[in-house]
Amino acid sequence: MTDFAGSLPERPRAGEIEDAMPQGIYPPTEEMLNEPVDPELREAQAARLRAVWAEPPGWRYWSAVNNSEVGAWYSLTAFAFMLAAGVLALLMRVQLSVPENDFLSADRFNQFFTMHGSAMMFLFAVPMFEAISILLLPAFLGARDMPFPRLSAYGYWSFLIGGIFVLSSILFGVAPNSGWFMYPPLATEAEGPGSDIWLLGLSFIEVASIAAAVELIVGVIKCRPPGMRINLMPLYAWYVLVVGGMILFAFPPLIAGDFLFEMQRSFDWPFFDPERGGDPMLWQHLFWIFGHPEVYIIFLPSIAIAAMVIPTAARRPIVGYSWIVLSAVGTGFLSFGLWVHHMFTTGLPSMSLGFFSAASEAVVIPTGVQLFAFVATLLVGRVRMIQPMLWIAGAVAIFTAGGLTGIMVALAPFDWQVHDTYFIVAHLHYTLFGGMVFPIIGGVYYFYPFFAKKKMSDRLGKVSFWLTFTGFNICFMPMHLTGLQGMPRRVFTYPGDIGWDWLNMISTLGAFVTAAGILVFAWDLLRSKKDQPFTERNPWGGGTLEWAHDVPDLGWGARSVPYITSRYPLWDQPKLLERMDAGRFYIPDAPEGLRETVVTSAVDAVPQHVARITGPAWCTLWAAAFTGGAFIFPTFHMYPPAILCGVLAIATVIWWLWTSTAQVPEAPMKDAGLGLRLPTYVSGPRAPGWWGVFITMLGDATAYASLIFGVFFYWTARPDFPPDNATHADPAFAALAAALLGGSWAMTRIARGVNRQGDRRTARVLLGLAPVAALAGGAALVLAVWWPGLSPATHVYPATMWAIVVWTCAHIGVGAIMQLYCLAGSIFGKLTPRYDADLWNTTLFWHFLGVTCLISAAVIGLLPRVL
Amino acid sequence: MLGRREESLWHMIAAPTVWALHFCLCYGWTASVCARTDDVTAARVGIALVSAAALVAIAVIGWRAWRQWDYLDDFDYEHDRPTVEDRREFLGHAGWLLALVSGIGTLFVASPALFIESCL
Amino acid sequence: MMRRRALLALLPILLLSACGGVQSVLGPAGRDAEVIATLFWWMLGGAVVLWLLMNGLLIFVSRIDRRPYSPRAAEALIIGGGIVFPTLVLGILLAFALSEMPRQREPGSGLTVRVTGESWWWRVEYLPDGASDPVVAANEIRLPVGQRSEITLNAHRVIHSFWIPALGGKTDMIPGRETRMSLEPTRAGEFRGQCTEFCGESHALMAFGAVVMEPEDFAEWLAKEAEPATSPATEEARRGAAVFRAEGCGACHAVRGTAASGRVGPDLTHVGGRVSLAAGILPMTEDALVRWIRDPEAVKPGAMMPGYDHLPDADLRALAIYLEGLT
Repeated sequence: MTDFAGSLPERPRAGEIEDAMPQGIYPPTEEMLNEPVDPELREAQAARLRAVWAEPPGWRYWSAVNNSEVGAWYSLTAFAFMLAAGVLALLMRVQLSVPENDFLSADRFNQFFTMHGSAMMFLFAVPMFEAISILLLPAFLGARDMPFPRLSAYGYWSFLIGGIFVLSSILFGVAPNSGWFMYPPLATEAEGPGSDIWLLGLSFIEVASIAAAVELIVGVIKCRPPGMRINLMPLYAWYVLVVGGMILFAFPPLIAGDFLFEMQRSFDWPFFDPERGGDPMLWQHLFWIFGHPEVYIIFLPSIAIAAMVIPTAARRPIVGYSWIVLSAVGTGFLSFGLWVHHMFTTGLPSMSLGFFSAASEAVVIPTGVQLFAFVATLLVGRVRMIQPMLWIAGAVAIFTAGGLTGIMVALAPFDWQVHDTYFIVAHLHYTLFGGMVFPIIGGVYYFYPFFAKKKMSDRLGKVSFWLTFTGFNICFMPMHLTGLQGMPRRVFTYPGDIGWDWLNMISTLGAFVTAAGILVFAWDLLRSKKDQPFTERNPWGGGTLEWAHDVPDLGWGARSVPYITSRYPLWDQPKLLERMDAGRFYIPDAPEGLRETVVTSAVDAVPQHVARITGPAWCTLWAAAFTGGAFIFPTFHMYPPAILCGVLAIATVIWWLWTSTAQVPEAPMKDAGLGLRLPTYVSGPRAPGWWGVFITMLGDATAYASLIFGVFFYWTARPDFPPDNATHADPAFAALAAALLGGSWAMTRIARGVNRQGDRRTARVLLGLAPVAALAGGAALVLAVWWPGLSPATHVYPATMWAIVVWTCAHIGVGAIMQLYCLAGSIFGKLTPRYDADLWNTTLFWHFLGVTCLISAAVIGLLPRVL
Repeated sequence: MLGRREESLWHMIAAPTVWALHFCLCYGWTASVCARTDDVTAARVGIALVSAAALVAIAVIGWRAWRQWDYLDDFDYEHDRPTVEDRREFLGHAGWLLALVSGIGTLFVASPALFIESCL
Repeated sequence: MMRRRALLALLPILLLSACGGVQSVLGPAGRDAEVIATLFWWMLGGAVVLWLLMNGLLIFVSRIDRRPYSPRAAEALIIGGGIVFPTLVLGILLAFALSEMPRQREPGSGLTVRVTGESWWWRVEYLPDGASDPVVAANEIRLPVGQRSEITLNAHRVIHSFWIPALGGKTDMIPGRETRMSLEPTRAGEFRGQCTEFCGESHALMAFGAVVMEPEDFAEWLAKEAEPATSPATEEARRGAAVFRAEGCGACHAVRGTAASGRVGPDLTHVGGRVSLAAGILPMTEDALVRWIRDPEAVKPGAMMPGYDHLPDADLRALAIYLEGLT
């Protein structure tokens, strides 16, 4: 009966210590599942599990890292930021209600619209996706928690600190005021700390976003319940996978852009200054390579919620599962070919515009497929108009209108007319309200009984829906016309004789009606429901695993991790709930007193490993606070405290990793239930941690690629790159750097091999030498540009060379710390020939870093001679 | 890493990856030709060649995915059973659909070369 | 339902009143704008039909007392509605847009207008075919009807965008780059253009008059514009000219034919002949001139020009009369 065919690892080489492998019976037979559990044992197991997964009492509550706590904090914080950004919108609407109004000054208005856009995008839309996913994903997958709970907590605290920092700047009148797109030269030359607050505050949050994306991807591919093959995944998981991948490739270009931008702000390196060879267009490219996929990063998860609600409303499985997967994946790809449609008016060649126009039309196809799949499901089913469906229907009505205007603006010549007018304001709010706000609110109504075990009010929901829906249309429908009448966006006032007055007045009225609707919703969400009874376990009659959670919530997610054979297990697998509750399935116990979840293979979800996951801790909060300091102090040019915070942040993270990750287990294998024994420790590609590093480094490599793209961009866009009489980097030092860094890379890889063979001494010697070589290589890289006297403030050419060196050296520093961490691990017994996950992860990091270093050395040492 | 075709997500996304490469090549080629030489014929011929190659690649990927889906064998398009066969057919089906949309996308992206005859 | 119907009834009224404005895409006075306006009406019609179909379908399928359809029919709906139909419609739209794009970007012939975006005003230079020296003006674009004029665009410090909705699409003005566009007006008239790329504090207050003239009127106007300034005709105006000199206005502004030759601010040689003042913000009247000169900051926050509130009213008034007379 043992069926591990899909998951056999590579055969270990001679002399290497073998990994522990799963043993026993899989998949379970019906007979085994029917076998009753001894009630006494069942109680004892439940008590142990409950103790392990209990949320910390009293003030220690805030050290919780469990996905249900962190997810709830995260969502509520994002919602609060959304309300704040909404208030800014209302104040702007007041200013615009009549022509030549002086309710807000020009500068204040500019701060408001900059913060409205920035906060809605960076503090609400993207974090909301992450928040909801952290909250829901483990439940969809029958998992106990996310794979890296402390990372979620760290992400949350970073988001909270960064968000409060960025938003509060508006209270002091120093908020960024150059638009949420921060175009240089306006934003680079802006006085005051506004631009820095935007750059550093939001970069900090972007890093947290990427952390969440990494965790969500690993969660989907490694933490599914046994048996949940890729064709049985809930659609939400598909969307999370796609969106996580998109974040990995979309956010890093912006981080690279932020890095260049901040270098110009702080040290006057002229990346965007045309007088010294720079080009403001590079920022626009980097920003929109992020900015357009971002729209879909916001839209897809919300549609994913609809994909969970609709089958429940239609009382049947989704129709066209493959079609929806197609549409999610296809949209994910196509959305990267749209960025220039934000730049249609920048005078690029018509042919180039044509490509983006074409791709912008093509992306309509998968989006349409998505909507038609929903309609098809409803068509085939017997629909029950539950409250969340009302919001989904409203979303479709609004979103199709936004999509249809989207088809219009994707045509470049039409966009030349309406670009940067209120037509676009209308279009984007139709897509975002229809594609994000409505489905999310529908999702809150739908999932509220899941996370609060109470129901929200149907009556208030209807009131809120009709207020929001009509208010929204009253506000934004006329804006199409306002835009066609020629009113540009981002104007703090307008003359009264052009025919815009009453249109604006209507919009303002509509905005307040919308706000009333949102307030009703907020009241319904937040009002105390103490006196209300708990709901039943599966109040909507859904078919997916989240409705298997206990009422009231017991923190452990699933009492036992089930074996899944259907897309809608609660509909199709009789006795599933009963068996889960009885602890009949996997890991029903916590005898070691550790938090655990099952890790399975990526495609067929064959159980591979019982992962020990981290529990409550304060170090995540400290790490976030120190990281915050490292980002926030430079805003005010306070560098010594920033550096101190950076060092403390690194120290805290090291302490966190050392004390809680890749711990040597008490035994290599444990009984996972149903006759299956699973390893308690794995390293390399079977370990979630390895995937975490791999995925993080994909994102990091994208950021680096964006920097290199910058070099080639300058080369095509600027005739004086490099300038005729430029000083070039020293090729000898560059070659030396390449040799040393390549050596360090090789030593790390060899150390992994010899350690596996049991030769700890050689491994330690190599791990001791590798960081020395790495740091020497980094020094040689700096010398390569410093020795010949490349002066980064004089021209963009030396500035790009320096930027590459700085970026590479920062990574070399991290690489050296990781090598030393492994060395220390080996000395203090945390890393042994058998338990070597840290060394695998360090080697993987160095594979990326090694390639980065060689490219950096080649670009600074060789490229000028080739150009 | 890539794994066997019928159980690999990477093969499923091969067609859109070709689309993405095609897109980057068209854009990069046109940008550099129009910035450096103004020779629009070179730009258009290049796009035509890249597009032809991309369409052939997508057709091959689509054909293999179609075979993996094996629709005419059992006329299954749901793939909702917990079996190796359903997983294989599902990945084939999704890969085939992605090839279809990537093909349309590639044709769309190539079309500017048909209509635009200048670097302006 | 009722509310939606009321909204639909309101729509035609909204649309009818829309077409007239001086800054409207829907009141075209140029070849490109006409094509886009027509395109828009067609697309709007299509969009309304599609929206009604999609949402009608949604309402139909959400009805409770309806017989469930077969999965085959549902798949057919996905294929037809999701793939076949959009591919065709989008393909047609795309083909039209792609062939229209080069037409709207054709090089102009005859006249070239070089416009530079400043904070927050427009430097305008006219280069008729064959001319070597440009005719310098500011904050107003005049174009001859019936021919495609070339427009080259620059920016001084930050990015701006140049747009005359009644004539055609917009193009950004980017520091360190020269962008271009062309416009082909089809009927004479006075229109309004505005900066559409956010360019700082007073972005909202950066507009201009756009005047389309019959070719012979335009030629006459341009010839006059090329001449030096007329000398002040009245006593009051002469006093204004003296104030202008004494206050050092010429350090920033040029008035050709006088000692004033500054290049920092707008050229004032024929300022009185323009349809508006302060980049499309104020009418060209004596009162407005006084208001502007006394305190530009109050009219246009962040404006570079210093205020002259220390001048006695009489001097300001004289200055205004002088400037208004520079036609």
